Amino acid sequence: MSKIICSAAIRGAHNIVDKAEQKYQEVLDKWGPDHPVGFPNTAYYLPIIYGILGVPVSKLGDVRPVLEKCRSLLPPLVSEKVWLPYLAPTLEAGMATFFAEEIIEAIRYLEYPDFYTKQEDPIGGNIWLGAADDIILRKRGVEFVDGTAPGFAAILGAPPTKEIAAEIAKELQEKNLYVFMCAENNGVRMSEQLVEAGVQIGWPTRLVSFGPDYTATVFAMGFATRAAMSFGGIKPGDFRGNLLYNKNRIFAFAMPLGPVSDEWYANAAGAINWGFPVIADTPIPEILPTGICTYEHVVSNVPHSEIVQRAVEVRGLKVTVSKIDIPVSYGPAFEGERIRKDDLYLECGGGKTKGVELTVSRDLDEVEDGHVEMIGPDLDQIKDGSKLPFAMLIEVAGRQMQEDFEPILERQIHHLVNYAEGIMHIGQRAIMWLRVGKAAVEKGFRLKHLGTIIHAKYHQEFGAICDKVQVKIYTEEAKVDEVLALARKVYEARDKRVDRMTDETEETFYSCTLCQSFAPSHVCIITPERTGMCGAYNWLDGKASYEINPTGPNQPIVKGECIDPVLGKWKGTDEFIFKASRQKFQTASAYSLVHDPMTACGCFECIATILPLCNGVMIVNRDYLGMTPCGMKFTTLAGMVGGGEVTPGFLGVSKHYIASRKFLLAEGGLKRVVWMPQMLKKELEAKLKSRGEELGIPNLFDIIADDTKGTTEEEILPFLEEAGHPALTMESIL
Amino acid sequence: MALEIPKVSYSGKIKEIVLGKGDKALTVGGETSYPFYLFEGQMPLKPRIAMEVYDSPPEDWAPTALEPFADVASDPVAWARKCIDTYGAEMIALQLVSTDPNGENRSAEEAAALTKKVAEAVDVPLIVWGCNNAEKDTEVLKKIAEDCAGRSLMIGPVTEANYKQVGAVAIGYEHTVIASTPIDINLAKQLNILLGNLGVPDGRILIDPTTGALGYGLEYGYSVMERIRMAALTQEDERLQFPMICNLGKEVWKTKEAKQSRDEAPKLGDPAKRGVLMEAITAQLVLAAGADILIMRHPESIALIQDMLNDLLAA
Ligand code: SF4
Repeated sequence: MSKIICSAAIRGAHNIVDKAEQKYQEVLDKWGPDHPVGFPNTAYYLPIIYGILGVPVSKLGDVRPVLEKCRSLLPPLVSEKVWLPYLAPTLEAGMATFFAEEIIEAIRYLEYPDFYTKQEDPIGGNIWLGAADDIILRKRGVEFVDGTAPGFAAILGAPPTKEIAAEIAKELQEKNLYVFMCAENNGVRMSEQLVEAGVQIGWPTRLVSFGPDYTATVFAMGFATRAAMSFGGIKPGDFRGNLLYNKNRIFAFAMPLGPVSDEWYANAAGAINWGFPVIADTPIPEILPTGICTYEHVVSNVPHSEIVQRAVEVRGLKVTVSKIDIPVSYGPAFEGERIRKDDLYLECGGGKTKGVELTVSRDLDEVEDGHVEMIGPDLDQIKDGSKLPFAMLIEVAGRQMQEDFEPILERQIHHLVNYAEGIMHIGQRAIMWLRVGKAAVEKGFRLKHLGTIIHAKYHQEFGAICDKVQVKIYTEEAKVDEVLALARKVYEARDKRVDRMTDETEETFYSCTLCQSFAPSHVCIITPERTGMCGAYNWLDGKASYEINPTGPNQPIVKGECIDPVLGKWKGTDEFIFKASRQKFQTASAYSLVHDPMTACGCFECIATILPLCNGVMIVNRDYLGMTPCGMKFTTLAGMVGGGEVTPGFLGVSKHYIASRKFLLAEGGLKRVVWMPQMLKKELEAKLKSRGEELGIPNLFDIIADDTKGTTEEEILPFLEEAGHPALTMESIL
Repeated sequence: MALEIPKVSYSGKIKEIVLGKGDKALTVGGETSYPFYLFEGQMPLKPRIAMEVYDSPPEDWAPTALEPFADVASDPVAWARKCIDTYGAEMIALQLVSTDPNGENRSAEEAAALTKKVAEAVDVPLIVWGCNNAEKDTEVLKKIAEDCAGRSLMIGPVTEANYKQVGAVAIGYEHTVIASTPIDINLAKQLNILLGNLGVPDGRILIDPTTGALGYGLEYGYSVMERIRMAALTQEDERLQFPMICNLGKEVWKTKEAKQSRDEAPKLGDPAKRGVLMEAITAQLVLAAGADILIMRHPESIALIQDMLNDLLAA
C-alpha cells in the first residue's frame, strides 16, 4: 500500500480516536457511566461496533472498553525512516476510525437529540437524516438483497458545482444505487448542493443526506454492517463473515470529492476492510492490485464526467437494462414472422447485398456502454424497396468476458433480432440476411434500433459476461467491406481455435443434465471433440453457460487422470457421472458404443448402432423416416434407447460428432461406418470427405452405403464387399 | 434359515422446519426413511394438513365442497375460524385467487389487508398462496411479508422468476418460502440452491414439487416427489433435503369429475362421495410419495387422511 496513503490514514485515525476520547470524557463527567447512549430505534446498538466486535454499547460505561480497543488497534504513526508493509496496520487504523466515529456520533445524539431528523426525509430546513432506524433498514435492505438496489456510493465532500453534483447524483440513481452523503469540501456539502439544484433528497429518492461531517460515514458503513446481520444471518462479532458478506454482495464504494484529508484517508482505509474501493476525483496515489477488494482498491484523479462509470467498473457492478426502447413490439411471438416481397421495405445480405455481423471482445476502456452508432443511410433516408450493404459490429467488454464466448454471443443475434416485430433475420456471420417490413418502418423503426436491442438483450441475458456493449451499424459499402475483412480474419482464427482444441488439450470438460427432466439419470459429457448428443451444446457453449448460470445444468468437470484414452474415460468424468446420475452409473466412455456407452436421453440428433453381418456401424438421423439395415426405423430405435438408460450397442450422437476424430474411437472410428441415410451423408459430405482423406481412405465417403444402396444388411453387404469397405476386414466389433 | 428382508440404507435426513409461531406452531420433516417405512428408519413428525380458505366467495364449486362452508363463504376470517373451531384445522392456507390479473385483479394492498385480518384471527400456522402469476405474486407477497412482519407465514409460490424479490422479503421479515417448480427434480434443486445463495436460511424453505389431481397428471408429480426423496435420503443431495408441500385440494376440486352431478355422470357413483374420495386418494398418494404438508378442502377427506396417518404412524 502506498506509504503516503498509509501514513495519512494512520494520522487521521489518531486524530479521530483522540477526538472521541475527548468527547467521551466530557459526557462521562456530565452524565455518568449509566446514562443510555446509542442510535435511535435499533436493535443493533452502535452497529459497526456490535457487528465487528460483538459488543453491545447501550450506556456510556460500555464505551470505555471500545475506546481501549481502538487504542490497541491503532498502529504508531509512520515515521520518515521506517518502511514496513503497511496494509494490515492501515486497515486496522481504518477499523478504529469507524469505532471512534460511531462513538462521536452517538454522543452527538446525546448532546443534540434533534440534530438529525431521525426519519426518511428532511424536515423543514434540517436536511440531516442521521442513522437509519431498523424500519428503514429492513425496507431498504430488502432492495439490496433482491437486487433492486445493488449497493451504494458513500460520497464524502462535494464536487465543484451544484450542476455536477446533480449530474453525479442522477447517474448514480440511474444505476439504481443509493447515494450516501456526508462531509464537506471547503465548506461545501453535496447534500446542500443538491437542494440548491432543486433535487429532492431523502431515502425515497435514494439520495441520503446522512450528516454534515465526515464522521457520518459510519451511518453508511453501519447500514452495510447491519444488512449483513439482518439479511445474511451473520452473528454479531463475526467480523470476517460480515466483511465478506459486504464484499461479495453489497456493491458499494467510497467516492471522496475534493482534497483528501488525513481523516478522509482514515475513513477510506476503513471502507476497504468491507471490500469497498475508493474512487477519487483528486490525484491521490492509486492502489491498483487486488486483494481485499474484488478489483482495484484506490483509483484516483477521475474526471467527474467519468467517475460514476469508473466506480461501477472498479466495484464490478452489473448494469441492468429492464426495458428495450424500440417503437415495435418485441418478444418470442414474433420470431417466426416472415416478411414477404410486397411488405418489404429494406433488404440486406442474403446474397443480394454484402452482409455481415460480428461480435468481438475488447478491453474495458475501448468500449462505451450503450453507444449505438449508425454509419451510412438509415431507414428514413432510403426509398421503400431498397437494398443496402450491411454490417453490424458488436463490441463487448467485461471482466469475465473471454474470446471464446464471442461466437456464442454472436449466435444470439439471430433470435434477438427476430424477436422484433416486422423484422426478419436469417443466417449468421457473412451469410446473414435481413428484411425490414414496411409496417415496422412506419412505426418508427430504424436500423439503429437493432443496436438498442442487442445492447439491452446482451446485458439482460449475458450480464454475467458482458459489462459493456457498443454497437456500430454500417450501410456504406466501403465501411461494410472493412468490417467484412475484419470478420473474415476473426472467423478464420475462431475456426482454427476450435479445430485445434482437442480432448487432450483441455483439462476441463462440461456436463449437461438439461435432459434429466425427462430422462432422470441422463448425463451428457461434453468434450471439445464430442458435442452433446442433441447437437445444441458444444464445449464452448457449456463453458459459457456455466459462466452465465453457475448453478445451471452445465457444470465444469475437471477430467483428471485418464483411465483409458481409447474408450475415453477419465477419473473426473466417472466421479461426476456417479454423482449426477444419482449413483445409477459408475462410468461411461466418451468414445465407445460397445463398452459402457453414455446414457441416451431422447433428444439425440442421430442413433448409431451395430450391424453384425457387416461388422460395422450404421447411423440414422431423426429426420430420416424410412427403414434402416438394423431392422428398425429411427422412431423404434429411439423408443428403445432413450430415458437415461445405457444400452450397449446403441448410442445417441450429434451430427457434429460423427466427423470428429474421436468418433467411436474404441470401435475403430469413422472407418466402421457402413451405412447412413443419403440425406445425412449429403449434409456432412464436406466433413466426411476430409476425414476420409485424413484417415488415408480418400473414397471413404463413397463406400459408405446409404438408403439408395439398400435398407437391409443383406442388401448392402455386396455393395460393401465390392467397394472393399475397411470395416469388413477390421477385427470383430462384437 | 430365517429370511432376512433387505433394507435400504439411508445416508440423509429431511430438515426439520418449524411452521408458524407460538403455542400452535408445528414442526414437519425429520424423516430418515422413505415415507412410512418405519421398519427402515424414522418419521418422527407427522405430516400436517392445512385447510383452504379463499379470499373471495367461491364460484362454480361442487355442492359437496361448498356445503360445509356455505355460511362463511364470503367472509375469509369467519371461514378460517370455522375450519379451526368446527373442523379442528391445525393449519390454514389462504388462497389468494382474487389477485389474479386475469380475474378480479385485486390489489396487493387489499390482499395484504385481508391476510393481516386472517393472520390476527387465527393462531395456527398460516400459509399464503398467490395466484400463480409470478409478477403479481411478487407484488402481493412482498406487501404481505412486510405487513405481517414476524408472523412466520409460509408464502408462495416462489419461483425462479421471483425468488429474489420474495426471498429477500422472507429473509427480512422472517417468513418461510414455498419454493415452487414445475414437476422437475433438477429445477427444484436449482431453486433451493438459488434461495440458499440469496441468504434464505435452510430452516425456512419448503419444496412445492407441483401436484396434479388424481387422473390429471398425478403420476408425474408422484414420480418426481419420489425421486426428490430418493436423492435426499440415499444420494446425499443436501439441497433436496427439505419437506414437501402439496397444494392439492384446489387441483382435485376443479376437475370435471369432482363437479359433475349424478345426471351428468350417472356411472360415476354418488357425487357427494366422489369428490371427497378423489381428494382423499390424491392426498394418500402424495403422502406415499413423501409429502409433509397437504393443503386440502373437504373436512371429510381430511378426516379420512387423519385416520390413515394415525394408523400408519402408530408404532
Ligand atoms: S442431449 Fe443436449 S440438452 Fe440434453 S443433456 Fe445432452 S447436451 Fe444437454
